[in-house]
Amino acid sequence: MTALRMLLRDWRGGELGVLLAALIVAVAIVSGISAFTTRLQSSLEQESHRFLAADRVVSGSRAQPLEWAAHAEGQGLQLANILTFPSMVYAGEEDMYLASVKAASDAYPLRGELQMSAQPFGDSEIRRQGPVPGTVWLDSRLFALLNVEVGGRVNIGDGDFEVTAALRSEPDQASGFLGYGPRVLMHIDDIPATRVVQPGSRVEYRLLLAGPEAELDQYIAWLEPQMQNGQRLLDVSNNQRGIGRALERAESFLLLAGSLGVVLAGVAIALAARRFSERHYDYVAIMKSLGADSGTINRLYAFSLLLLGTLATLCGAGLGWGLQALFFELFADALPVMPGPAGARPYIVGAATALVCLLSFAWPPLSRLGGASPLRVLRRDLPDETRRSVFDNLLGLAAVLLLMLWYSGDVALTLAVLAGLAVSASLAAVVALLLLRGGRLAGMRAGSIWRLALAGLQRRGGANTLQVVIFSLAIMLLLVLLLVRTSLIEEWQMQLPEGTPNHFLLNIAPHEVNAVRESLTRKAVLSQPLYPMIRGRITHVNGEALGSGDGADPDRRERETNLTWSNEIPPDNELVAGQWWQPDTSEPLVSVEEGIAERMQLQVGDTVSYMIGSLPLEVTVASIRRLDWESMQPNFFMVFPPAVLQGYAATFMTSFHLEAKDKRFLNEFIRSYPTVSVIEMDLVIAQVRTIIAQVSAAIELVLAVILAAGALVLIAGVQSSVDARLYEGAILRALGASRGLILGSVVIEFAALGLFAGLLATVAAEIAVAILQTQALDMSYSPHPEIWLLGPLLAVLMIGALGVWNCRRVVSSPPLLVLREL
Amino acid sequence: MEILKGIDIEIKAHESVAIVGASGSGKSTLLGLLAGLDESSEGDVWVDGISLASLNEDERARLRADKIGFVFQSFQLLPSLTALENVMLPLELHGAADAATRAEHFLGRVGLAERMDHYPKQLSGGEQQRVAIARAFAAEPAILFADEPTGNLDTETGAQVIDLLFEINREQGATLVLVTHEMRLADRCDRRLRLHGGELVAED
Repeated sequence: MTALRMLLRDWRGGELGVLLAALIVAVAIVSGISAFTTRLQSSLEQESHRFLAADRVVSGSRAQPLEWAAHAEGQGLQLANILTFPSMVYAGEEDMYLASVKAASDAYPLRGELQMSAQPFGDSEIRRQGPVPGTVWLDSRLFALLNVEVGGRVNIGDGDFEVTAALRSEPDQASGFLGYGPRVLMHIDDIPATRVVQPGSRVEYRLLLAGPEAELDQYIAWLEPQMQNGQRLLDVSNNQRGIGRALERAESFLLLAGSLGVVLAGVAIALAARRFSERHYDYVAIMKSLGADSGTINRLYAFSLLLLGTLATLCGAGLGWGLQALFFELFADALPVMPGPAGARPYIVGAATALVCLLSFAWPPLSRLGGASPLRVLRRDLPDETRRSVFDNLLGLAAVLLLMLWYSGDVALTLAVLAGLAVSASLAAVVALLLLRGGRLAGMRAGSIWRLALAGLQRRGGANTLQVVIFSLAIMLLLVLLLVRTSLIEEWQMQLPEGTPNHFLLNIAPHEVNAVRESLTRKAVLSQPLYPMIRGRITHVNGEALGSGDGADPDRRERETNLTWSNEIPPDNELVAGQWWQPDTSEPLVSVEEGIAERMQLQVGDTVSYMIGSLPLEVTVASIRRLDWESMQPNFFMVFPPAVLQGYAATFMTSFHLEAKDKRFLNEFIRSYPTVSVIEMDLVIAQVRTIIAQVSAAIELVLAVILAAGALVLIAGVQSSVDARLYEGAILRALGASRGLILGSVVIEFAALGLFAGLLATVAAEIAVAILQTQALDMSYSPHPEIWLLGPLLAVLMIGALGVWNCRRVVSSPPLLVLREL
Repeated sequence: MEILKGIDIEIKAHESVAIVGASGSGKSTLLGLLAGLDESSEGDVWVDGISLASLNEDERARLRADKIGFVFQSFQLLPSLTALENVMLPLELHGAADAATRAEHFLGRVGLAERMDHYPKQLSGGEQQRVAIARAFAAEPAILFADEPTGNLDTETGAQVIDLLFEINREQGATLVLVTHEMRLADRCDRRLRLHGGELVAED
């Protein structure tokens, strides 16, 4: 218990406070971020399950055997059945339309929810179940197309149904996005009455499964050997649309921030521990003269550290828990699924971090206290044996590397940060030495305050170089985080700016183009031109026929895609191979999107054959393009020179932005253009925007915590040199120096350190951000002139203020008192 | 560098010995060697029949804990401990169960019963040295080493402290080895060893 008492008694020294705070910050950052990303990932996984409306789906063109369902039930899994097929829907004698019908059992959807509204384009309500037998829900635009209202009746085959609501969204609607017409949702029990599903009909049967992962895996293992050609297992899709990459980057950023936070905390811990051990050098000598052996001393300090570590782990884990809870509080509205708790792992990781930090940063200087000579009680002039050795620095570096690797699991990120750190540290050391030398020469001719300050800088050259290196590292890391965060958030906001198109129009007939354009410009934001669109089927590559049907290689089978024509490369597209054609060329060429080219193994120069309607077309691949699928702009897999597609029947498409309050416009629009398809993306886009706003908030919050870690480093760094300055100041005071002289020289000294550190940090930060953004974060880089002045200025202010605050006792207490306490 | 040479002395149990000499004559070095705080490059010191040269630093620390007490010129109290805690420290290192009681007793004995909870900073020099005396005697050492115990005190306070030191030493019957340049203080000892340039020049 001596250790505990000693710890409490030492509290007033100040460096223990920094040590504890740095440990707490390290644990809190690590456990908070780790818990946050764990929960975010589980939320995203559930989100992607939502896109399937289930955890797993078995899909096929034949009904799944009944025993499959029975076995799934036996395993305790939830299940649902759906059937989708195209069918004509009739209302009264005259009105009919080709719709995509989905028939679902009661349990559908297993994941996610349905949204319906009492009136077409009305306010959405959430439902856990589709329509009851005898009723159907219609896509909002079908009401206009069929000239029917809620309460009216429609026929599908031989079945007669009451329309009870407008269907606004299905969790798994992405699967039927473009191919079919507007949706009709009905109950699966009504299928026999319609008599539309006959052998040979084009029907997709889906068996939806949900349940615990272990049971699911077991069931799938049982099922897979029995699956036949044409039956497919759909798993969590990676297709997350706009949210996916933004969140991935956010996660990388948080991991980066966490790693940098730990580096900062580690440096603060090392500094505080070193000062602590320096101050304890005399203590140990006294204790040794009183008969304490090195074992006793080591046990005493080891136990102190253990106590400190335990306390820090408890506080840090609590703080970390609060941090991630706060994140999710921020997220609650945006996340479709609130994830469960993250479990104990993040807090174990936090505790391990505390242990590693203590062992690698705090213990080395303290462990050498045991070897202090007791002779120091008689002779104060003995050399200090607790100086950090090269070995300590290597140990600290290894620990940082290990921790960063462990958190991020990302070698590239770790190496980028490490290289940045190493380069800037060595650069800083060299430049700091040079600057300090230069400063002395310039100062020789200045007034006495300056001479005093600059002579002080010079006198403590070694210690000051170390300080400049540490300050500049801390400031650099903070600047890096600040800059990366700013560009991340800017990029996100640019990706989905206000007024992003949130509705798509397909199937606009050529003679309707002008009228549609006019009608849209009157009511909505039309940011996009109208693109021509032709449905075509790829049949041959280099003369070789592609397979068709369910048995063919899914990557190289016949497929239907959207074709368009253009004289220029579409905006936001980037050419990755080949060349764009001369305007108005009539050569048979095509430009292919990178992803599909990869899947179909297409290269520049390959010939591709299409079937457009009943007309064949053979072209040569002229170029391969990369495009941004998250931009919510119309994008095309295949682009042709206009002359090549002339003579094929085209329809047009476009996208536009519509405010929620103007949604009724769609009703009028559909009545005027019944054959035009409207796709509503406004809810998805709103969701993406909210999530991005919340992720940005989370990033700001993490940044604030890291700033605290940076401040701790600055405080620890300033503290480490305060004793020497206090001592000199007190002697100068005793010799009659004025308050102004001493305080002034302290201000100049620290401000100069801050200026050197700020300059170095700004340069190093630019380099590190350039490497990080281009190598690890997959972003573009441009310089940040705004920090060139701000970085050094802030460093001068912060370090100057901290220095004066820590040295204020030199002028506020009698010199003798100061000297006696040192 | 040879700081001490040709020194051959024997100090008997319960004896009090003063080592005197000018600054730089090697007094403190000799004290450090006798007390096992320092190692000699040549020669040996026997304490209670044990050769210090044969011990390593940790073994010497244990020997100090068992047999040796110190009073220093600059007091050497731990600034973060109260007077009571400072006196308890060697007792705790020794593993004494009644450290607090004994420390209180000795602080009472040096007249600081009222100031036990004060920190060194809050005590005058004389009071700090009295705490150091209490700390030195609390562990009931066989030998007490005092290095210029009055060096940082004014004459009057120094005299009081010395009276106290000799008084308690008499009660406890410890061997006393005192380094001083004050003859008034040296005269109170049984024997005086005079050093000059690291050599023993006189003994009386």
